Amino acid sequence: MRLSSRLTCPDRSGLPRLVLAFFGFALLSSTVVRAADSQPEAHRIVSVGGTVTEILYDLGAGDRIVAVDSTSFYPPEAAKKPNVGYMRRLSAEGILAQTPDLILTEAGSGPPDALAVLAQSGIRLINIAEPPAAETVGARIRAIGAAIGKTSEADALAGKADDDLAKLKADLAHLPPERKRVMFVLSIANGRIMAAGKETAADAMIRLAGATNALADSTGYKPLSDEAVIAAAPDVILTMDQGAAPVKAEDVFALPALAASPAAKQKAFVSMDSLYLLGFGPRTADAARELASRLYPEAAIR
Amino acid sequence: MIIADHLVLTRQGRPILDKVSLRLVPGRFTVVIGPNGAGKSTLLKLISGDIKPDSGHILYGDEDISRLKPRQLAERRAVLPQSTSLSFPFTALEVVRMGAIAAGSLKPCEDARTALARVGLAALEARAYQALSGGEQQRVQFARVLAQLPTPVNEAGPRALFLDEPTSSLDLTHQISVLEIAREFAAAGGMVMAVLHDLNLAAEFADSLLILKGGRAIAEGPPQTIIRDDIITSVYGLSGTVGRIPQTTPFVLPQSRHPAPASAI
Amino acid sequence: MSIAIDIAQQPARGDRSQQGALALALLSALLVAACLISLTSGPTGVGLRDLVSYLAGSLLSGHQTLSKQDLIVLEAVRLPRTLLGLLVGAGLGLSGAMMQGLFRNPLADPGIVGVTSGASLAAVAAIVLGPTLLLPLQTALGAQFLPLMAFAGALINTGLLYRIATRGGQTSTVALVLSGISIGALTMAATGLLIFLADDRALRDITFWSLGSLGGATYGKALSIAPFILAALALLPFLARGLDALVLGDAAAFHMGIPVERLKRISVLVVAGACGASVAVAGSIAFVGIIVPHLLRLAIGPSHRFLLPGAALGGASLLLLADSIARTVAAPAELPIGIITALIGAPVFLLLLLGRGGRGLID
Repeated sequence: MRLSSRLTCPDRSGLPRLVLAFFGFALLSSTVVRAADSQPEAHRIVSVGGTVTEILYDLGAGDRIVAVDSTSFYPPEAAKKPNVGYMRRLSAEGILAQTPDLILTEAGSGPPDALAVLAQSGIRLINIAEPPAAETVGARIRAIGAAIGKTSEADALAGKADDDLAKLKADLAHLPPERKRVMFVLSIANGRIMAAGKETAADAMIRLAGATNALADSTGYKPLSDEAVIAAAPDVILTMDQGAAPVKAEDVFALPALAASPAAKQKAFVSMDSLYLLGFGPRTADAARELASRLYPEAAIR
Repeated sequence: MIIADHLVLTRQGRPILDKVSLRLVPGRFTVVIGPNGAGKSTLLKLISGDIKPDSGHILYGDEDISRLKPRQLAERRAVLPQSTSLSFPFTALEVVRMGAIAAGSLKPCEDARTALARVGLAALEARAYQALSGGEQQRVQFARVLAQLPTPVNEAGPRALFLDEPTSSLDLTHQISVLEIAREFAAAGGMVMAVLHDLNLAAEFADSLLILKGGRAIAEGPPQTIIRDDIITSVYGLSGTVGRIPQTTPFVLPQSRHPAPASAI
Repeated sequence: MSIAIDIAQQPARGDRSQQGALALALLSALLVAACLISLTSGPTGVGLRDLVSYLAGSLLSGHQTLSKQDLIVLEAVRLPRTLLGLLVGAGLGLSGAMMQGLFRNPLADPGIVGVTSGASLAAVAAIVLGPTLLLPLQTALGAQFLPLMAFAGALINTGLLYRIATRGGQTSTVALVLSGISIGALTMAATGLLIFLADDRALRDITFWSLGSLGGATYGKALSIAPFILAALALLPFLARGLDALVLGDAAAFHMGIPVERLKRISVLVVAGACGASVAVAGSIAFVGIIVPHLLRLAIGPSHRFLLPGAALGGASLLLLADSIARTVAAPAELPIGIITALIGAPVFLLLLLGRGGRGLID
């Protein structure tokens, strides 16, 4: 692309640099939200996606939300709002019944036909296209802020989020080069250990917290063979703390595959709230920091 | 006329029928008898179109049977099977009605009632078929067959009634009445082919009799001529069973048998 | 021998055409009512009055008095959904009746010929492999990707089963069932493997797909099923007469002039098409194919000339009513419809089974 070749050319004066920066920013934000999409006066917002809801509340717009999806349970007030269904299986008529003036959706919401009907009805639909990840927290916050007319609050929040992440990175640089091997366990139903490999939110979080994923070889959430678990030799077991049957430390370490692991010897077990840990919302840096401090208690990260 | 010529059927190397020929002539009641495994039912299935012979041909009038579509065949012949069981609760009338529909009737229920009355079951029209006795079920099937061929002859020519061991579950009264109705059918110009195992009924009702054994035709002709002691001995291995009542109709009394000399079998 | 209905208690009429015609009239009325209920239920509160006003506007005066949102709800949400529910329900009911006739077994359902397992395998493949292996196909077909895959899967699987069970031009129903079981095991294994490879998003999607839903209904989806329903209705006299005769056995049906192999082929084709399309657009919806024909047979007897249209009408009504419940009971969210049909169907089935002293459904 011509723009990228321009970016590598040395600048000759300040003005072209400004123009470049503008184009760059427009390009970046255009991948996140169409420049014309905003509904600053929206007061009946349907919020789809846990982090979208959380960001709305952080921007002080919580009272402008009339309904949420089933993945929006933070802050607790959000969970009390009317529920329009699972974010990938939204009910068009259910949303219409809320007479919204703006629908904000997280990446991956659907089904497309329901969204098409909603668009047809003339309600503003703004999709936050970037999938949740640490690098996109700031961009997503800004996009949502632009959508609801809270750009300055969004800038502040995004700036703080980015700063927190940068600070975290700096702090973690002081960690010893030998990083802890962490295994994120999703479930141990029927004695099979379902754990997170590469390309999962858990994997990203583990690395963000300055550790390594004990399961370097697998991808996605997989039920593992006992031998694979033994070979992984995790130093710490990480789980989510949410739902009717959370994974408990004594159950995990009772499993023969993990009973002899370094984690079992140290009884190293960390459990954190699911949206907090894996949502990649505004609290991402906090979550990573907390995880790091629990992984490396001696390093006194706080 | 229906002509079956030199029919051969082999299954798993065993010959079921070995060059058997038969003619069904309008006005004639043809009976096929023989011991078990003689190929009688197979012959009936071949001529009625259920299965194809390995060699030989079957002509309905001038047309080869293989050129006739099921619909066309259904207009020329009907088949009464040995037994039929149903897995759904049709009433007797509904079963017979299917035969009337096959005949293209415009008032199938009426025609079905007529057929049921003919076999003496008009009172049972509303009864579930599965609740009937074996004999009553067989008579309902016969009514269905009659409903399919309301007239022995139509514009296309004489029609054929095929009866495969029709008397097995019937008591004596109804054995006789079924065969009498079939005889009326033949007398009115239709063709009848019946596989019977009862030699005496065969002797009484057949105009032409074919005796099969082991897939081969042993004898063919009027019963008066071919129900003879030597033939019965060679086919069934029982001697001295054939007698005659005054009207020259032969009868077979197994009780009067004596062991057959080995050379005669 | 015990029978499901003691017909002898009625005046001695062996011909149940009157009951059959009455049943069809009642079912038609039921369908109209179910359509009205479907068009007037939902979380937005658009009700009967609005519907009447809409119809008056479209058919009489030519202009609408409803608000834009209410118009959207009626035209873009409820009407296509009602139409889709009607066609899917009719297709499932009809297919169930045809399969029970073809296999001469009141417990048969369209799944026997591999429609559901084939469609499921293809749908799961579309969900799991869409973003990876099948990406070019997914991008090319867009929103039609999943339904087309499911439909193709249903046809291919059924075709395969049919091929296996057909020798020398003759299709053995027993062989069809047996090959269905073995191929079914294979498809289940393949589906399981795909589920193993699935990520979080795919697993959620698979779960919801397999529970069935009429959400996201469009006229296009309804149109995809319509040809098979129309074909079945056009062939109704042939199918009804043939399936009736088939109850007496393949040979007896042939004797009565039924082209038996052609009947089997057409039946399997219609079922594969109608069910395949239904599963493709609405996921797998349980029970409608078994329950409706069975109930109908108990009420009016097994004559297919009433059973087939009755099953279509009954299936459509059941599905529309179930969908109306699915849409309103957890509003503004929606329950998957397969749950509702099972919740309605199973107790009715059990009641019938127990209520007649245990003899009830065994014919």
